[in-house]
Amino acid sequence: MPLPTFPNTRRLLLDCTSFLDHQIGGGVCGCCGALRPRYKRLVDNIFPEDPEDGLVKANMEKLTFYALSAPEKLDRIGAYLSERLSRDVARHRYGYVCIAMEALDQLLMACHCQSINLFVESFLTMVRKLLEADKPNLQILGTNSFVKFANIEEDTPSYHRSYDFFVSRFSEMCHSSDEDPDVRIKIRVAGIRGLQGVVRKTVNDELQANIWDPQHMDKIVPSLLFNLQQDDSTESRSPSPGSEKDKESPAELTERCLRELLGRAAYGNIKNAIKPVLMHLDNHSLWEGKTFAVRCFKIIMYSIQSQHSHLVIQQLLGHLDANSKNSASVRAGIVEVISEAAVIEASGSIGPTVLEVFNTLLKQLRLSVDYEVSGSYDTYGSKTVKVHEERQLQESVIQTIGSFANTLPTYQRSEVMLFIMGKIPVLGMYPVLGPANTGFEGSRMIQIMLLKSLLQVTVGFQTTNMLTALPTSFLDPLLSFTLMEDAEIRLLVLHILISLIDRHDNQLKFTPIRIITDIGALKLKVDKCSRQDNLFMKKHSQRLYRHIFLASKEENGTSQHFESLYVLLGLISVELATEDVVVDLIRLALALQDLALTNEETFPVFNRCALHALSAAYLNLISQLTTVPTFCQHVHEVIEARQKELPFLLPEDVFTDDPRLPEKLEKVEGEVLFLQAKIAETLGGSGYNTERLATPYIPQLTDEDRLSKRKSIGDTISLQLEMESRHSPEREQRRSPAEQITFETLKQAIVDSASLEEQERERRRQVVERFQTAPFEEIAAHCGARASLLQSKLKQIFEITIRPPPSPSGSIGQTQGRSVPVYEMKFPDLCVY
Amino acid sequence: MSMEDYDYLFKIVLIGNAGVGKTCLVRRFTQGLFPPGQGATIGVDFMIKTVEIKGEKVKLQIWDTAGQERFRSITQSYYRSANALILTYDITCEDSFRCLPEWLREIEQYANNQVVTILVGNKIDLAEKREVLRQRAEEFAEAQSMLYLETSAKESDNVEKLFLDLACELIREAKQNTLDNNDTAPMPGEGKTISYLSCCSSLN
Repeated sequence: MPLPTFPNTRRLLLDCTSFLDHQIGGGVCGCCGALRPRYKRLVDNIFPEDPEDGLVKANMEKLTFYALSAPEKLDRIGAYLSERLSRDVARHRYGYVCIAMEALDQLLMACHCQSINLFVESFLTMVRKLLEADKPNLQILGTNSFVKFANIEEDTPSYHRSYDFFVSRFSEMCHSSDEDPDVRIKIRVAGIRGLQGVVRKTVNDELQANIWDPQHMDKIVPSLLFNLQQDDSTESRSPSPGSEKDKESPAELTERCLRELLGRAAYGNIKNAIKPVLMHLDNHSLWEGKTFAVRCFKIIMYSIQSQHSHLVIQQLLGHLDANSKNSASVRAGIVEVISEAAVIEASGSIGPTVLEVFNTLLKQLRLSVDYEVSGSYDTYGSKTVKVHEERQLQESVIQTIGSFANTLPTYQRSEVMLFIMGKIPVLGMYPVLGPANTGFEGSRMIQIMLLKSLLQVTVGFQTTNMLTALPTSFLDPLLSFTLMEDAEIRLLVLHILISLIDRHDNQLKFTPIRIITDIGALKLKVDKCSRQDNLFMKKHSQRLYRHIFLASKEENGTSQHFESLYVLLGLISVELATEDVVVDLIRLALALQDLALTNEETFPVFNRCALHALSAAYLNLISQLTTVPTFCQHVHEVIEARQKELPFLLPEDVFTDDPRLPEKLEKVEGEVLFLQAKIAETLGGSGYNTERLATPYIPQLTDEDRLSKRKSIGDTISLQLEMESRHSPEREQRRSPAEQITFETLKQAIVDSASLEEQERERRRQVVERFQTAPFEEIAAHCGARASLLQSKLKQIFEITIRPPPSPSGSIGQTQGRSVPVYEMKFPDLCVY
Repeated sequence: MSMEDYDYLFKIVLIGNAGVGKTCLVRRFTQGLFPPGQGATIGVDFMIKTVEIKGEKVKLQIWDTAGQERFRSITQSYYRSANALILTYDITCEDSFRCLPEWLREIEQYANNQVVTILVGNKIDLAEKREVLRQRAEEFAEAQSMLYLETSAKESDNVEKLFLDLACELIREAKQNTLDNNDTAPMPGEGKTISYLSCCSSLN
């Protein structure tokens, strides 16, 4: 029998001794050590005798080298290490635990090969074991290793790995309530980093249990938010200067983690990620405080992929709807968050959500008004409404509408304006929606709220093309009578008009209303009136003038109203003035003066003086704008005369807090009045149309007025005729509203006025359709034919109108060519019969 | 060589109103102590304990949830993966008993439908302050087909029994499952087919 050779024996002996050195109480028979496989020996060798000494570096290198050269052994090494580790954990030998973990980490880092998969299994078992231990240090150790592992990119998929436990455990750690604040923070930080690790590891791995599933998200997201929320409270309470310098606070870390998580969210996952946020904010009643909720959603909006951000808005809107019955402060909080978030979204990408945002906000506004008016949240009246909270909510909704609208491009803004306009209950235009119990007061409040919103939207609105920005469908209801009677509403409408027309930030330069001696000092910014503006004025100017005229006439006007009217007139003359417009505006100003002179007893003195002052201030302004010296002189003379004799007819005296007005306005005549003939004369020399100027301004009625069915129409507007020179058919053509009223439509209107509107609409639709679809040549040809057709029709009309039709009101007996608007004006009368 | 040091792993989640003694029950069972002046649990707490039942190592992962309403969303997310729920109320607090139907609704909504639920009336050491009669609770538990037990974390009454009984029940269910589904993997634990033995002896 051959004896064992010497080297072999010696090696065996060495192994035995070295093994005995390290296996103190290891539970394995030391004598058998030599028979152990090589990997076990290599593993055993890395453990020092005294755990204090730390990992035996040289032996660790050997182990690493072995593992690299024989990767198929890696899984066994892992299994053995893990076995040792769990034994050490059970026996509380934490020094060895740390060493084992260090070794594992190093092996993990060194081995980027395919066989890592099985090794990872045992690695994860060990991490789990550490996390299960109730020693904070072990938990942190385990987390650190896990984080290192999470940063390794694996190239082979693994089918049977489950991170459920890690998600649960790390989430739990995020909520640690350890007595020692330092330990608590450490554990929480570990938990956050662990979650970050899980997210990194799983988010891109399709084989993994989907981290975006609600069951995981519901744990991860609230845990993160909880730490984010702890930020203010803990940091101010326990400033631990030592640990803060080198370590991030949990809140900062959380924020980064949250951003990373959200940044990786794909379209389908957003919902699952946001829902827990909403739930968390609900449960911890964090909407009321606003700041945290806003912060959360700022983080979300900035970190989420921008193409998905509209989903977040949608969810917020849905949440707002779901909280409709909740207290106003909660709703206000959500609205605030939406406003912040929507602005962020809008600056990134304009999604299809824009109108939806406005729709929801307007709905909430209406709801809030309903609550306020009815005094309870439901029909049973179980909860009482806090009016001031509702008011705050309304304000913040309006603010939100404004700030969101401000981020939109022009075309979308006008869309939004139209949308809001469509929601305003306007008598005879839009049906009053909403619950019936709100009644008149309710609909008035809604009108005010919506007009305020509209005003917010229009602030800073600058369009180059008024015609498309302000279509008839927008102006009609805005200028309707319904929005005229109430002083507050009227003022809002005026402000809206002002901010729409003011495109060069001139409006403030006109306030306060005063006699301006040198217009140059105002430094008005003026662009030349563009073709579109011209068209706009042609189409809508009469309507605007009439609105101004009627608004001036209202007896409940205050100095604010008159000032707004002045600004509006000023802006029109600066922004949209053409020769015709200037003439019309002067006529309008003179008409205002005439209005102040009417004999109606009921008209208050203040209004009379105010009208005088308004016309004086405005004529002064426009005279300087026209730069016709004689005109300026006339205006100047009148103003001087007033200053001497009747200073209360000038804005400086009327529009003060304490105007000194006479009891009764005695005869105002002579040189304190602006004279139409004189103005016509002065301007005639400069090429203005004097004939037109010599005609007094009379507000004209349109279809819309008939529809609005105001009772006093007949009384309020005397039926005077507008004289038009029949020698100027071109003017005629130009002055007539752009809808191209033909003889047929007029006739039809007389026969059946009700169907007029419908036909008109249908016709317009056809026209639009044709212009959209037909080729250019066809349209051009059509237009040519149309022009001659129109001319012949007009001739026909003239022929007929020379013979006056039998009329019940004798006032139109005068012969003379009458313009088309005259016919329109007649409709109410004719309809009566 | 199996890397796992247990035969069965069960997740147990404690739920119930705030202040009924959930954390104390867990502490008593896992650490053998009764922490006086225990603060409110924040979010979730986690404990682990391995017990041996008839020679089988059973690892109990115990998730102790906060009773406070504001943590409801995170605690709910833990119901789903639970093998057993311990629904706790305070026998000296009528309110905590009256909330039980609400908790049952939550269970219905969020938990796995094979979950084992046990109703526990805690604080029997405060017998003189009792507000909920044993019989009433028993009837309620029976109506909802739950197990019922009264415990005192302070005096360690029935605490061991609670968890061990639950473990036995879970093992029984697990085996049932393995038998029913034959070779499909059982839901909890490792699922060895060993004949069922009545349990109670425990070691650790």
